[in-house]
Amino acid sequence: MGVATASLVLLAAAVLGGLAIGPTPIGTGRILGDALSHLGLGHGTLSPLQSTIIWQLRAPRLVLGLLSGAMLAVAGGSYQGVFRNPLADPYLLGVAAGAGLGATFAIVRAGAEATPSWTPLLAFAGALAAVGATWLLGGRARHAAGSSLILAGVAVSSLLTSAQTFLQQSSTSSIARVYIWLLGSLASASWHSVFIVLPYVVVSVLICLSAARALDVMSVGEDESRSLGLPVRRVRLLVIAASSLGTAAVVSVAGLIGFVGIIVPHLVRLLVGTSYRRILPISVVGGAAFLVLCDTIARTALAPSELPIGVVTALVGAPVFVLVLNLRRRAR
Amino acid sequence: MSRVQVESLGVRVGEATLLDEVSLRVEPGEWVTVIGPNGAGKTTLVEVIMGLRRSVSGVVRLEGRAGSALSERERARLVSLVPQHPEVPAGMTVADYVDLGRVARRGWVRAASSEDWRVVGAVMARLGLSGLSGRDVASLSGGERQRAVLGRALAQGAPLMVLDEPITGLDLRHQMELLELLRREVESGLSVLATLHDLTLAGQFADRLVLLDAGRVVLDAPAREVVRHPELAARYAMELRVVEIDGADVVVPVRRAGSRR
Repeated sequence: MGVATASLVLLAAAVLGGLAIGPTPIGTGRILGDALSHLGLGHGTLSPLQSTIIWQLRAPRLVLGLLSGAMLAVAGGSYQGVFRNPLADPYLLGVAAGAGLGATFAIVRAGAEATPSWTPLLAFAGALAAVGATWLLGGRARHAAGSSLILAGVAVSSLLTSAQTFLQQSSTSSIARVYIWLLGSLASASWHSVFIVLPYVVVSVLICLSAARALDVMSVGEDESRSLGLPVRRVRLLVIAASSLGTAAVVSVAGLIGFVGIIVPHLVRLLVGTSYRRILPISVVGGAAFLVLCDTIARTALAPSELPIGVVTALVGAPVFVLVLNLRRRAR
Repeated sequence: MSRVQVESLGVRVGEATLLDEVSLRVEPGEWVTVIGPNGAGKTTLVEVIMGLRRSVSGVVRLEGRAGSALSERERARLVSLVPQHPEVPAGMTVADYVDLGRVARRGWVRAASSEDWRVVGAVMARLGLSGLSGRDVASLSGGERQRAVLGRALAQGAPLMVLDEPITGLDLRHQMELLELLRREVESGLSVLATLHDLTLAGQFADRLVLLDAGRVVLDAPAREVVRHPELAARYAMELRVVEIDGADVVVPVRRAGSRR
């Protein structure tokens, strides 16, 4: 079985598991039957309550997990290609710090009340403003544009993170909610949030996938790529813009989910080789499956309380990564 | 029309002048080699021609078109590059590596067409790479790898090829082999602008030699004249002899009498 097929099987398993597993276990057969009945085929056997649990609680959370996992994984893989840096992740240019500052501002402003509904909007704006600042600071340098952007990203991230920390410490009443947001969670998912994120993710993923061949060319370095006819700066700007937009949209509703963007593309690279024509599409499927599996663990392992999903992605991802790395070494 | 025409090129970095009023041209089917001591400005000249570095004065014309006005893709259709230290990507097959040259033709979104693979196959056959097409390019020997780089440049189908010290690190046989392959391409119409340190090979393979020193063109003449010119030894600040063997000029450095033991 090829890696592509295996990742699709994993995705199917993650989807069915994500719908079936929970405090109220519902068999996958009955879920599928109910899904078909919505399409006018046969009769569903779910009670109204079970139907609500599946289609209004678990399904939107599942879909948001799929979109977020796919987006973060493809953005991480694209950044690793565009910067030729294995440590690149979607948060490299300041998306996380900017979104964190925006969200913290919203939560702190609301004081003791619940996390306000406009938190995603501020997080989104903060993320894009941070990447914009990074680009203005580092993107115009003529030489070593890649590394100057990374350094600008480090500077912008540090600055915004210190501002965020200051803001967070200044208001003890909301500190817990800030932490919950920062660690990332799909718990607040609704069909509304899914439809907000969907267009950004679809467009961003398509742009990143269409840049896969260009990323393969860029593996010979900036000067050689340009001599081969690749408009390196334009491709880099396009990939950064697409990845940032998609990542900002995901982060604004799901918080800062770590580890997916770096571990999934590397795992895929270990399995399928170095061509981005294979790494990126399989990362889309693998990232979606991985995040949904992690979320299912996050919401069931310590039920009724939830684990932060970022904890699970690292806890599951790191051992799997080390295992594959070792198996590959032994196979060589 | 000249494949490349460099007029009064000037490049400065801070206080240092890297190129000063440099002019040269390469005609269709001509091989011009730029020689000169380390720091003469050879690599800088290559970078300006390839659009990788800006000049403060002068102009580079490729097939009559100002280089500064060309997009990456337009330039890559007019000139290909064999760099001094090519970056070798891990995990890429030789065929895929040679096919990178076709990006100049098809753009960066489209997949390789059957025409692309036909050109790649023909180039690999010409360079004796056909048996290696499925090999990882990072696993090749130095000589094979440099042929793959040459293949990538040929696959671009540009009328001019610029090579920066293409035989660095190769043994004698592979140096000759690579230059012979290149000579054959020149016989069928390719123009070549190369930089070389080996004066013997430079003289044997090029039609014309351009001697560059301290950023200025000192000599620009047929190879036989340049290797015999007293200015050559003066610029390298050493004694050089030219020995003719079977009609070919061999440039030999002579150790100064005072330093012999």
